Amino acid sequence: MQDPVFYQFSITTTLLLLVGFYGLTFLFSTLAAKKSDSVDGYMVSNGAVGFGIAAASMTATWIWAASFYGAASSGYKYGLSGAMHYGFWGALMILFIYPYGQRFRELAPRARTLAEVMHARHGSSSQLILAVSNLVGSVISLMVNFTAAGALVSVLTPLSFQTGVLIAGVGVLSYTLWSGFRASILTDFAQVVAMMVVAIVLIPWIYFSMGGSDALSQGFNILTAEQADFFSTKAILEQGAPFFVAVLAYGIGNQTIAQRIFAVRQDLIKSSFITATLGYGSIVIGLGMLGMMALFMGMTPHDGDLNNLIPQVASTYLPPFAIGMLFILVIGSLSSTADSDLSALSAIVMTDIYAKNLAKGKIDNKKMLLLGRITMVIATILGLILASFSLDILVMLVFVGALWGSLVFPVIASCYWDRVTNKAFLSAVLGGLTLFCLVRFELIPLVGIWAASMEVIAAVGGGTVIGLMCYGFSNRKAALFIGTIVGLICAYYFQNFLRDYTVLLGSLIAYGASTMICTAISLANKERFDFSLIHERIQHFD
Amino acid sequence: MLSLYILIWPVISAVVLFVIVRAFFKDMAEAKREDRSIV
Repeated sequence: MQDPVFYQFSITTTLLLLVGFYGLTFLFSTLAAKKSDSVDGYMVSNGAVGFGIAAASMTATWIWAASFYGAASSGYKYGLSGAMHYGFWGALMILFIYPYGQRFRELAPRARTLAEVMHARHGSSSQLILAVSNLVGSVISLMVNFTAAGALVSVLTPLSFQTGVLIAGVGVLSYTLWSGFRASILTDFAQVVAMMVVAIVLIPWIYFSMGGSDALSQGFNILTAEQADFFSTKAILEQGAPFFVAVLAYGIGNQTIAQRIFAVRQDLIKSSFITATLGYGSIVIGLGMLGMMALFMGMTPHDGDLNNLIPQVASTYLPPFAIGMLFILVIGSLSSTADSDLSALSAIVMTDIYAKNLAKGKIDNKKMLLLGRITMVIATILGLILASFSLDILVMLVFVGALWGSLVFPVIASCYWDRVTNKAFLSAVLGGLTLFCLVRFELIPLVGIWAASMEVIAAVGGGTVIGLMCYGFSNRKAALFIGTIVGLICAYYFQNFLRDYTVLLGSLIAYGASTMICTAISLANKERFDFSLIHERIQHFD
Repeated sequence: MLSLYILIWPVISAVVLFVIVRAFFKDMAEAKREDRSIV
């Protein structure tokens, strides 16, 4: 039976939209096809990608299906500040990583992955721990994006969830498999243009369809005090702070970002990433406003599921043609991220697993390229299986987030501080992860001296997060000073308080513990590392 | 004020879109002049 809440496309229209989208994307990707097979080109293009494509690709990659659903849900749940707490911090993930990206590129201009830089700095064990975190993160991202495709298709069309998942998987693989990263960034440009045009048209369209300022202003009466407060404590603690803490972790943990850092022309990293910050922020916050407007209009999410908000708002306030545009917007966003994940996965397997470990110095480029393509096929199948069975991956997601948090300080310190050793790197990551698990899953009850000491470590984590953010844009002394001040303020406010917010406490402990362990072991080391060795150790494969 | 808060985001998107599309065509023209692929 047709659901009256959602507009339903016919099967013919649905197939026309999907085949049209993936067909045009495939045709566009053929512009990137080359007769000669270059393994470096397959992973990072020519290493001198221009500003337009780099900025568009970074924007498209960072906007995934969850961006729209998450931002709209946040706007609906937290009111005035909700969309900002989702989109603003997400945008800062792009902004705050670029100064470090410039350093990674300066140290290793020929690198393909960040894990490869860690291999040149520390050896295989540190490299593989970062590579595995990248791999798991990208597989989870693939699964989430394919799931979003299935959900959208099942809500707005007569086709089943599984059919939607399958079409998205096959569609993305078809245009990414042959040219790899080159196809990914070229199609990202077309996809981001489509996404932006749709967002620019639909947000004002829905706003005026709802009745504009007058109609929305009347909705102020139904908001709670927290929802009507732009500086809502509830929104900050539940949505903003956990996202803010993850700003650097997501930047370090995602090979999709590292790949773009190594692909864009070196002098264009800053301008590309600042533009992508603005592009991501404006689209995601803008679409988050749809959730806030739904709240003002007194709408209730169908079946109580906040993920139904966007299709519900579209079905209520837009004509069929515009709903088709929204459909393409979501398909475009999930496809652009999925193709980036496939490229990231193939680069990690080609570089970090095959070239740096399995090949033992005898690298066969043809074999490496074949391995990259096989990786894409296997990853797509894995993503489709995980999405089709709707497996609960929450624990995995939490674990990967903690692993990324534990990696932030050791990775960044390894690129600036010549006393950081492989032992310091590994001990810091494993120590941070262990302590995180003890706290996050409350394996030891958070009471007494244990809870108090965890709050102190979390305060160190808070100081680390702010200190590292400042360090990217200032110098060591300023960052240390600001980080220390913030750490002391956190220590004061966290006592007997943060133990009630285990998600935030766990995240900050991953940062704090890894920072303390890495610093202590590095200070005990008297040897100095020569950073010019990284440049020498990373060569082109072609 | 509420209208501005909602409608400012598509305006920023439009500016960013203009900047990246213009840059893309500049890069495209340069690549064509030098007879190489844009990626």
